[in-house]
Amino acid sequence: MTNMVSTSVRPNLLILAAIGLAAGVLSGLFGVGGGIIMVPGMVLLAGIAQQRASATSLAAIVPIAAVAAVIFGQADSLNLPAAAVLMVGSIIGVQVGARLMTRIGEDRLRIGFAIFMIAVAVTMLVS
Amino acid sequence: MTVPEISALIGIGLTAGVLAGLLGIGGGVLMVPAMVLITGFDQHVAQGTSLLVIIPAAALGSFTHHRHGRLALRDAAGLAVGGVLGALLGSFTALSLEEELLRRLFAVLLLVIAARMLMTRTPTPEPTDPEAT
Repeated sequence: MTNMVSTSVRPNLLILAAIGLAAGVLSGLFGVGGGIIMVPGMVLLAGIAQQRASATSLAAIVPIAAVAAVIFGQADSLNLPAAAVLMVGSIIGVQVGARLMTRIGEDRLRIGFAIFMIAVAVTMLVS
Repeated sequence: MTVPEISALIGIGLTAGVLAGLLGIGGGVLMVPAMVLITGFDQHVAQGTSLLVIIPAAALGSFTHHRHGRLALRDAAGLAVGGVLGALLGSFTALSLEEELLRRLFAVLLLVIAARMLMTRTPTPEPTDPEAT
């Protein structure tokens, strides 16, 4: 990995498929998108720039989440009305989040939220 | 669904959407524990529901990126080939696990993500440097 990475790089499809595989397992196992694996994976292993990695990861999440959702749906582990209500809330929330982005110091927010997540995790472990 | 349940879900969706935008992490990590702890959903149902909610948001977002030319469709297809296979593996594994075990594993995932958030600083806009790993 000594070659310089340029914007015209054509990343190895096998490496991408391997990153996708890991993200897909995480997605199916925990009901999350998998961007947590794909974005750093693409940046570190495939030399893709951060912004392009985020955009590409988002597109890959669509088929990954769709396949996993179908399997959960067939196992009766999916609440369709709840999903519809959540979608309405989250679509509004994303717009609000985009407007707030510049007003809050990102570091402080992230540290505060990380501490909150630790509290949530502990609650889930003991409940 | 009852009225309090609907209100709670709208609140969860709103909060997850706002925080996902602000923190750059996916909505699923936020919605799943909220559905389990606030609306009392079974861990499996919370995860299945989260997966469905993620789809339109990701589709909309990637469409916007595509219009701005930031999306590499070839790379996304490569990810998706492995991703779909992984999603099958992960889903069947999750469904075969006991509810309580799955909830605890999810809590461990949260701890890992929280630790990562605490360790990373806001990335400075630098060109990708393969030596910096």
